Amino acid sequence: MAGLSLSLYRARAEERLTTIYDGDNLHVSAPGLHFLTGKPLQRLKDGATVVYLAQLGLFEDAGFLRPIRLAPIDRFAVSYDIWDQGKFSVTMLNPAPRTSPNLSAGATELWCLENMAISASNLAQDRSFFIRLEMRTADQRDLSSVVAGPGISLTELVLRLGKKAGVDDPKWIREAGPLRLADLVRMPGRGPRNG
Amino acid sequence: MKYAWLGCLVFGGLLFGGTQDSDINVNTRYTVDAVSIFGKGWKTTFLENRTDQAEQTQKLSTRLKADLIDLIGHKLNPSVLDSLAQRIRKELSAREVGHRLLRSDTPDHVQVEFEVTPARGGVDLNVTQFSYNSRLGWSGAGEAGFNLRQHYFLFGLVSDGEFLPERYAGFNVRYEDRHLGSDRLALRFQFDSYHDVWNSSTLEAARIDTRVTSDPYRSRENFQPSLSIAVSKPLSLEVGASFERFDSQIPGLPTEAANAVFTTVRYHRQIEGAQNQQDVDASYAMRLAARSLASDFSYARHTARVRYHIQRGKHSVTDELWGGLLAGRAPLDDRFVLGNSTYLRGWNKYEIDPIGGNRVVYNSVDYRYGRFQAFYDTGAVWDGGQTATARHSVGVGLRASILSLAVAFPVRGGHIEPVFMMGLLY
Repeated sequence: MAGLSLSLYRARAEERLTTIYDGDNLHVSAPGLHFLTGKPLQRLKDGATVVYLAQLGLFEDAGFLRPIRLAPIDRFAVSYDIWDQGKFSVTMLNPAPRTSPNLSAGATELWCLENMAISASNLAQDRSFFIRLEMRTADQRDLSSVVAGPGISLTELVLRLGKKAGVDDPKWIREAGPLRLADLVRMPGRGPRNG
Repeated sequence: MKYAWLGCLVFGGLLFGGTQDSDINVNTRYTVDAVSIFGKGWKTTFLENRTDQAEQTQKLSTRLKADLIDLIGHKLNPSVLDSLAQRIRKELSAREVGHRLLRSDTPDHVQVEFEVTPARGGVDLNVTQFSYNSRLGWSGAGEAGFNLRQHYFLFGLVSDGEFLPERYAGFNVRYEDRHLGSDRLALRFQFDSYHDVWNSSTLEAARIDTRVTSDPYRSRENFQPSLSIAVSKPLSLEVGASFERFDSQIPGLPTEAANAVFTTVRYHRQIEGAQNQQDVDASYAMRLAARSLASDFSYARHTARVRYHIQRGKHSVTDELWGGLLAGRAPLDDRFVLGNSTYLRGWNKYEIDPIGGNRVVYNSVDYRYGRFQAFYDTGAVWDGGQTATARHSVGVGLRASILSLAVAFPVRGGHIEPVFMMGLLY
């Protein structure tokens, strides 16, 4: 029974989203979040580029139905080095592409999360909010494969456009709250730009 | 017109869209030294100097093989692998084709592998034609079908105002056995049923000149069995018969028949150079209708085409020459037409000759740099005994794969009337 309780405690800890406030933006970390796994990892090991879409959102309620603010969707293109096995390269595609090569799987996941942020401006210090991180792989909707050969294949087009996100592609969600800016630990060395 | 601009925006987006992962995949630094396609119990390997080809991949087109071989010796471009996998899937009628990279024996080199999962039978839906011409309007064709091994059953819908003197709409059904004892033989049965709509200028011209062709008809049906034979590597032959019926626009008048035998010889050769690739396509087709086949029309229709294409880097030039001769009285749908989105672009077929002609000569030169294209078309369509008038047109546009956007200008004195065209050109 004690063992079961310990396992449950560990599972909950892994699901937790830690939030850090730098005076302007909110950053997150999720040590237990591993998205370089399963089918996407297999596609990476086959030499493909896998694009992960990630978004942070602030919500008023624990049901995450009433958003206060949603950050722009961040896109991370990850590839796996066939010759330097165990090493990944990740490029954040927006706002301006920047790449970090030769990373381990864990470091790649960490780099993605470190480069995500959501603005906390105009959010009152004592206002209660919930934060949610949502991540999934982008669908490979390559037009050239649909128009390859004689004729454009509608079946292919319908299959690709009609495919529900999440059926084949995994999705990762982490949540935290209720939180208040006043309660959050500020990042060392950073403070509010305007005061 | 608003639909034209809407379509323009959509196609423009498609032309410039697409994944560009050539810069973000870490493996683009490695050189490809082998490409292989494999399935259960077989494998074809393309190397720089030789190919170990399994029987299963012999029917791949020369162009696809060339594109696969083109990967070898170059840095990996992952963005083309999805497209190549889909082309292999289509040409081999496979259920699925996946791809992966493997480390090669040589450091910093990789092998590309395509894994083929065979189809048990499949259903497919294809758009075989889709175009807009600001003078001729929309044209489109699509087909749905399924296959059980090499047996293909297809049903198609067509509405076309481009290639014949008429605008026709209707359906066709087709059965194909693509492996009649051998991959070299294919059998096909096709039935077409179309309703016809005529431009007033065509009706007027047909009323004045009744000797050279049929009267405009209300509808037509055609049954066409044919056999295709792959004679040798670059040469193929098709032979068949066509039994066509025309219903008169005037109720009570008897149906006319055009029963014919036909043959087409096709030649294709690809020449690979160190820095360029050349393609030569040539074909000759003959269609012979005779009273002895219980035909109301008696005529011989000959057409010959030669196409030469050279590609060097992003530059490519294509020259296409087409000539045709009709001897005897043929129905309107067998007469030659110029002035559409494919032949003598920029001109209006109804202005040139609303009932088409029984002689045609045409040449088109197309230059492309990447997605940009410029073309110069020249041609004449006329009836025997008349003087041929050569017409010219020039145009520019964008083209990516089969998606095309173009504006063409007929070269003539007085005024400039551009024609806007877009669509899927195969």
